Amino acid sequence: MNLSQRHLGLILIAPGLMLVAALFLYPLCFSLISAFSKDGAFTLEWFAKAFELYSTDIVFTVVIVLASCALTGLAAIVIAGTLTLGENRYIVGTLKAIYRWPLFIPFIVAAQCMRTFLAKNGLMNNTFVSMGLMEPLQAMSFLDWRGIIATFVWKQTPFVALLLAGALASIDRATLEAGRNLGASRPRVLFELALPQVMPTLMVALVLSFVTMLSVLSVPMMVSGSQPTMLTVDMAFRINAYGDYATANALGVITYLISAGAAILYLKRGLSEGAPR
Amino acid sequence: MPTDLPNGPQSGASIAVRDLHVAYGGTRVLHGVNIDFTPGSFTALLGSSGCGKTTLLRALSGFVPVESGSIIVGGQDVAGLPPEKRGMAMVFQSYALWPHMTVLQNIGYGLKLRGKSKAEIAAKVSQMLSFLGLAGYEDRKVTALSGGQRQRVALGRALAIDPGILLLDEPLSNLDAKIRMVMRHEIRAIQQRLGLTAVHVTHDREEAMTMADRLVIMQAGRIAQIGTPEEVYDRPATAFVANFMGAENILPLRVARSETGATLTTGDATAQVATGAGAAQALPAGEAVAYFRDDVARLDASDAAAGEDLLVPGRIAARAYPGGVYRYRVEAAGRQITVDDADRHELGTTIGLRIPLQRLHIFPASEAGIAA
Repeated sequence: MNLSQRHLGLILIAPGLMLVAALFLYPLCFSLISAFSKDGAFTLEWFAKAFELYSTDIVFTVVIVLASCALTGLAAIVIAGTLTLGENRYIVGTLKAIYRWPLFIPFIVAAQCMRTFLAKNGLMNNTFVSMGLMEPLQAMSFLDWRGIIATFVWKQTPFVALLLAGALASIDRATLEAGRNLGASRPRVLFELALPQVMPTLMVALVLSFVTMLSVLSVPMMVSGSQPTMLTVDMAFRINAYGDYATANALGVITYLISAGAAILYLKRGLSEGAPR
Repeated sequence: MPTDLPNGPQSGASIAVRDLHVAYGGTRVLHGVNIDFTPGSFTALLGSSGCGKTTLLRALSGFVPVESGSIIVGGQDVAGLPPEKRGMAMVFQSYALWPHMTVLQNIGYGLKLRGKSKAEIAAKVSQMLSFLGLAGYEDRKVTALSGGQRQRVALGRALAIDPGILLLDEPLSNLDAKIRMVMRHEIRAIQQRLGLTAVHVTHDREEAMTMADRLVIMQAGRIAQIGTPEEVYDRPATAFVANFMGAENILPLRVARSETGATLTTGDATAQVATGAGAAQALPAGEAVAYFRDDVARLDASDAAAGEDLLVPGRIAARAYPGGVYRYRVEAAGRQITVDDADRHELGTTIGLRIPLQRLHIFPASEAGIAA
């Protein structure tokens, strides 16, 4: 490639590069600097403050997101498995038609739906009461950590199921038939023969879901107002209530590190999958 | 084949298919198939694409739901059972090995499902691998094997569960020609040694003829003919079977019956079939079509004596040399005929196309219409 072509290439990617720089790299650097400095000098004061005030919320966030990922994965496996190995075409057809709907609903709307569904006098409890399954006095609110997990799982399952069902549809169907031919039940075929072949796709979908859930503000804010809560709410609170950008940025860096952990796990797995055997 | 399986031979199971109807959506694919597979037999289902041969095999294995009819295996109707309850082992066209498992895990999976211990599985897989000439391959990833080795592993996986019935779904079509020849003999030898009932789907005529002891020719969801390779090849029951089994040259004929026999007329040529020959009675009267293979006709002088053969005048239109013999395209009786002949003739030469009468497969013109 000669010099003019190289320049041309750079010019072509320049708009994209500048957008990334302006909208991502600059705020990232700014946050990092702000999180580690005070009056122009290096400090870990903001991190100390963040841990002092919000260490419970850090653990809470990680546990919520991990639990949501696990349940999302499980629900997606059931849906994608039914779509791939289901034999009742009415069930498969209905599931295929409706399972993607939550994908098109924004988190904030999903959170509002869950509020009306999971509240003490919400749709779920009212339905149970009217069906005679429980007494009105037994009704309790699920608008806490359970509500957050329920919303995340409901919202992210279609995304993971979509990727998983696509991957399952692309594997050689004969490999699944071979299992049944040898005597394996459909659940065994799914867990022992089909899923191991699409594990990389499931991992990608779950890592992406993990990062998405980590960054959602509306759901923890609307579904669970009480403490403990997720780091996004804490960051918003530091900024809105105190104008404390430094601590908010320190919490942001901690969030980066948590999502980087997921990314490293994913990359490590990707490398070992791709390595020659 | 290096060593024998210590626990063989075993006996195959019988299969009786009765009035089997199968449909995909609204489209009927099998129209009332009746067929028996005797224990230890090797049957090839043969036919062109879309004839229903693979559907019949998949109906046997349980992957295609049966609309009506029964599949009786060892006295029990399995038509309503799911694939895992049928006790038939299948070898797939794509081998269908599990890429995330080793050779040991692939072959041992069926045994694991049957609750065998790890030691039992390892011992059986080791036996199976030495039986298949793959001793010591237990810990290899199947993705690191060649096509022929994968095919052996697929066969080993099917055989490891000691099935009474082995279903083969075009298992050799992804192999190169040389390995395919070897595997034909190996599969046949294994089937005979273990006494399995084998059902083999293929569209390769030669493969079916060399492996099977019985051919089932299928056409449009029905069985066109069942017989030994010799019967089907030499005495095709229908124009379709004749055409499918390689008699691709077609001559329009007129058959006139008389007391002394029958007279065949095509273009300017005539031939007599005597009553005593036996064939005359079987001939259809009136308009007919004769099918014959490239290698049964010879080129002769146009004025040669016909004798007991049909001598059709024609002109050489094209010539090729595929090796050993010359292959000619001859225009005769208004048709293009392909003929193999040892001698070299020039293009445009007028010749006599000599066809022995007993090598002609003659069917009524009305039936022949559906053959091509």
